[in-house]
Amino acid sequence: MSVAATRSGRLRRVAAGNLTLALLALLLVGLTLGMGQLEPLFRALFPDLSQPLYSRDSFLNLMLAHIGLVLVSSLISVSVGVAAGLFVTRPAGREFEPMVSSLAAIGQTFPPAAVLAIAVPLAGFGFTPTIIALSLYGLLPVIQNTIAGLGTVPASTREAARGNGMSAWQILWRVELPLAMRVIIAGIRVSVIINIGTATIGSTVGAKSLGTPLIAGLVGNNLAYVIQGALLVGLLAIVTDLAFERLERRYTFG
Amino acid sequence: MIELQGLTKTYAGKRVVDDVSLTLQSGEFGVLIGPSGCGKSTTLKMINRLIPLSEGRILINGDDVTQLPVEQLRRRIGYAIQSTGLFPHWSVARNVATVPQLLKWPKARIDDRVDELMTLFQLDPAEFRDKYPHQLSGGQAQRVGVARALAADPEVLLMDEPFGAVDPLTRETLQAEMRRVHVQTGKTIVFVTHDMDEALALATRIALLNGGRLVQYERPIEMLVDPADDFVREFIGQADLGLKLLSRRFVHQYQRRARLAPETGLERLDEHAWLVDAEGRPSALAGARLDDADAITRVKPEWIATPEMSMKEALSRMVWYRVTALPVVDRDGRLIAEVGMPGVMGIEGDGVASEAAS
Repeated sequence: MSVAATRSGRLRRVAAGNLTLALLALLLVGLTLGMGQLEPLFRALFPDLSQPLYSRDSFLNLMLAHIGLVLVSSLISVSVGVAAGLFVTRPAGREFEPMVSSLAAIGQTFPPAAVLAIAVPLAGFGFTPTIIALSLYGLLPVIQNTIAGLGTVPASTREAARGNGMSAWQILWRVELPLAMRVIIAGIRVSVIINIGTATIGSTVGAKSLGTPLIAGLVGNNLAYVIQGALLVGLLAIVTDLAFERLERRYTFG
Repeated sequence: MIELQGLTKTYAGKRVVDDVSLTLQSGEFGVLIGPSGCGKSTTLKMINRLIPLSEGRILINGDDVTQLPVEQLRRRIGYAIQSTGLFPHWSVARNVATVPQLLKWPKARIDDRVDELMTLFQLDPAEFRDKYPHQLSGGQAQRVGVARALAADPEVLLMDEPFGAVDPLTRETLQAEMRRVHVQTGKTIVFVTHDMDEALALATRIALLNGGRLVQYERPIEMLVDPADDFVREFIGQADLGLKLLSRRFVHQYQRRARLAPETGLERLDEHAWLVDAEGRPSALAGARLDDADAITRVKPEWIATPEMSMKEALSRMVWYRVTALPVVDRDGRLIAEVGMPGVMGIEGDGVASEAAS
């Protein structure tokens, strides 16, 4: 196949991917704002339920609260994780690498529900313990991928950067980080997707999220609530994942 | 000028570079050569302080390299390595502009410099400026790597086995190009290789190292005809000594006046002669064929010689095309001289001028 043909084929795939992303994002916004319009549908599907549509809070509020939880916890995961990954790949921090890696791995083995259970007595109910649990849980993929991403930078590239007179900071900013970015973003992608799913559990300790109708549905044996919550969480995760895929693509070289 | 004075590198008590002293004059092409682990790369990397020296001094144009801030020092020294070390996320133009950007040259000056260098290495700027390293062939990438090393017009160019990873054919082209670029820029170059043929093709001075010690530092031809000891003799290799010598001799040293054939009476020639066309380009050779002394042979582009061609290549063409003389042409393809078997045997030319003679 000629270069031009593979190129146009790739462009077509990118365009198709963009279209999918746009349609799903539109669906997400539409469902968040217009879930109420579907009440007749849920009533028809679940004739036994007296309340087939979750109405204690608007889905927009729940969605914004959910995104807020994920944003804050991911910001913490990413800044702490990237900083730790950078630290242990510098000459000064190299000896801490095994320790940091295993600490992050241990953090990942704790089920988030257990972390929540520990965090509640320390930080009370609601937003804070959820953020602690999510941040800890999302740390590992970010640290791991930061270390792995910086490890993919060829030694010859680093040597060329030094030999051409770049300072340690210039090598990091101009060469190492851009080249490691695709792998680092892949780690952030995993971390954020995990957090979107896990944030639903925050509702068990009183943090408002899309988990609220889900938990309420499970407790009150209301399958319609569960579907409404799960549908929005699932869509949010898919749209975010697709968006990250686009972002990763921008950092692919060669 | 580069001076190494008692240069020594010690790793865990072992002297991997041991008391090396040599001086490379400005404009010379110095090649560090030796078997694996002889300390040639280590010596090179001590010059731009990628490896700190243990003892001794290195002076570049009189300045002690350890007295300069290290980044500033490296921006004054071009550095090209094997497998290019090009930055894969930067375009060719940005790669070439690495050091000028670090030195904060104005953009217009950087752009001009990039175009100038790409032209020097026969990469069309319009075609290659915006390409990325993965879109280049091995030879093109290596050219960009050397262009990057030359970008800020450094006083000295260091090259660490830059052509070690390309195929033999491309390597020869790159060597020829490097020779041309050296002549055109007049840079002082230190080049590391383990390949004696490469050293002979490029060097004006060869430093042969073994076990960290400098064994012989000499001009290539002198090293060939007068090796310091058995190690040097063995390293040069017993095979093809005559051909190695020819690889250091160039057509412009051995070319002679070409006899033009008279308009009529070709059949009565007792010597070979050339026929030229209206523009002065050689068109045919009368005589000088081994199998048929009277034949008229049409000149093909494949067996034309140029003044800067090595005598080894000239001999190779004579053998392959079964002629005992080649036409030597100038840049416009006009016949300026001929080179034949007497030249191969070492009989010097008669001083026929050629613009490339230097």
